[in-house]
Amino acid sequence: MINLTGKRILITGASSGIGKAISQLSASLGASLILLGRNIERLEETFYSLQGDGHEYYSVDVTDYLKTDEIIRSTVRSNGVLSGFVHSAGIEKTLPFKASTPKLFKEVFETNVFAGFEIARIISQKGIINTNGASYIFISSVKGKLGDIGNVIYCSSKSALLSGTKAMALELAPKKIRCNCVLPGIVRTEMVERLFNSIPTESMNNVISKHPLGLGKPEDVAALVCFLLSDQAKWITGSEYIIDGGYSAR
Amino acid sequence: MKKNEFVNQLAEYCEFETPELTLDTPLKSIAGFDSLAIMSIIAFIDENFNMKLTALQLQKITDFNSIILLIGEDKFEND
Repeated sequence: MINLTGKRILITGASSGIGKAISQLSASLGASLILLGRNIERLEETFYSLQGDGHEYYSVDVTDYLKTDEIIRSTVRSNGVLSGFVHSAGIEKTLPFKASTPKLFKEVFETNVFAGFEIARIISQKGIINTNGASYIFISSVKGKLGDIGNVIYCSSKSALLSGTKAMALELAPKKIRCNCVLPGIVRTEMVERLFNSIPTESMNNVISKHPLGLGKPEDVAALVCFLLSDQAKWITGSEYIIDGGYSAR
Repeated sequence: MKKNEFVNQLAEYCEFETPELTLDTPLKSIAGFDSLAIMSIIAFIDENFNMKLTALQLQKITDFNSIILLIGEDKFEND
């Protein structure tokens, strides 16, 4: 049985989808959480759904690095060091390559990549991270390994997250910080439901048919992430875990 | 933008190879009209009219006139 008791874990993108499911499961396994998310109403909804106590939440744009830094230092001063970090915040843009300008690349990379690595950099400093060991999980995507029409920006951002995590794992291993990437296929989140509502039914069915086990649920990904956060995964670092219902097996 | 300019600019953006396109040309008759072209039309309308249309909305389009109706005729100058 996975046990996260005594671990303080920082989670971005906690207000919805995969981030929300990770928050709920890790709290039920004993962790105390610091939730970050943009939408205050939805963040509160996640916060009030958590089991256990000692949780905190902050409405912040994770690309506001100064504010994020202040929040992290303040919570560590008041409540102690961190043992885990999950970067689940992410944005998606579907558009043809010809429309993929540097401005749009920057916008997506800011949230999907730069914010995750910047938070990891901040919390890896002495006095912020638990010197007995910690685990960082970055939520990439199976699209970080595979191409997809209309997704040059998104695919490359998730791929950058993946390779950066591996390099980080090597550099932070001496500090007993493990860094791993989880690569989900299409999971039924609010973001995906919105996408499905904007495309013809035929296209939606085509997407679903490419997943031999059907589409995933946020809880499916949360279970894997909580294992990687736990001490049972203490020999795992620099690894990538595809969880996609068989999508990439073809 | 005038309607005829719209047809020419959109056709160039989508790289349609069919010559002499008009407002009434059926989109399905155009070589290269596929799902990537739909994505390109969405991007073109966003860039030029600051409107975010969905693939579902574009499912109903049949010719350039029907795209103009979706955008709103008031957004176009008289030819």
